[in-house]
Amino acid sequence: MNPPVAGDICPPQRYTHSTVQLFRFSAVSWNSHRIHYDAGFAASEGFPDVVVQSTLHGETLTRYALAWAGPNSRLETVSWRNRTTAVADEPLTWTGTVQTVEGAHVSLEVAVLKADGSPCVTGTVQLALV
Amino acid sequence: MNALDEVLTRARSLVGRWEDEDCGTVTVKDFCRYAAALNDADYIDRARKREATGEPVEAPALFLAATMSWEDGPPERELRPDGLATRESPCTAGLPVRQVHGGQTVRLLKSPVAGCRVTASRAVTSAERKQGRSGAFVLLGLTTRFTSADGTELTAVDETIVVMEALDSPGAA
Repeated sequence: MNPPVAGDICPPQRYTHSTVQLFRFSAVSWNSHRIHYDAGFAASEGFPDVVVQSTLHGETLTRYALAWAGPNSRLETVSWRNRTTAVADEPLTWTGTVQTVEGAHVSLEVAVLKADGSPCVTGTVQLALV
Repeated sequence: MNALDEVLTRARSLVGRWEDEDCGTVTVKDFCRYAAALNDADYIDRARKREATGEPVEAPALFLAATMSWEDGPPERELRPDGLATRESPCTAGLPVRQVHGGQTVRLLKSPVAGCRVTASRAVTSAERKQGRSGAFVLLGLTTRFTSADGTELTAVDETIVVMEALDSPGAA
């Protein structure tokens, strides 16, 4: 990969979270909130299916940015804001754009988009190139 | 006083009161199970190879930040109707509210390695009543600092929790 410059766009990547993944992530993160694994309960709170965990969004956005930057990168800071919820099996897309490059430090603006292109999660990932 | 006012009152009484939680000694198995939930087979291969040769094994980057609780946890009969343990959300216990994560900022200062004993120190940092498009809510700010046994800060997490009235509550949108 060429050295990143501001304005570089990370190739968007489509994905979905399965109900099995949401259950396993809840289990491994000791998160027993029922909106993440009980569709009936999620419906009672107004959601169409079990809800993707906020921390799973942050984790996968981070991994998307690190995968784009390559093996000689490491995470320094990640910050994200949940704009709306996403649910199991919903088609989602990760996107990223380089905002700044200062020496070995790269800041990317990242997002999770819904199928209609609206933002589900927006945030910033700061990486160090080592 | 309605449910959101009560949340606000409880949260404000907790602002600045730090509580420590022993996360225990983190292990390669903990890391690998976390990676498995993320379908990260490459991490598991690398971690197990390093473990076999006696090299330090670093946790996946957000391992500490993503884990909601380090307590053993209560039996099911003691969970709240939404599945959370009372301790995990002391400001909302018993109230007709629902809550979702607003977002997080995670700063990685030093990667924990397997065999490291970790302490999480948590505090409510802010509580504000807000008005959104879908009605009133309370925005809680929480901070967690993870440190190793020698006091080295590993990971710092600032997060927000959005608390709304329950859908069947008289004041809910």
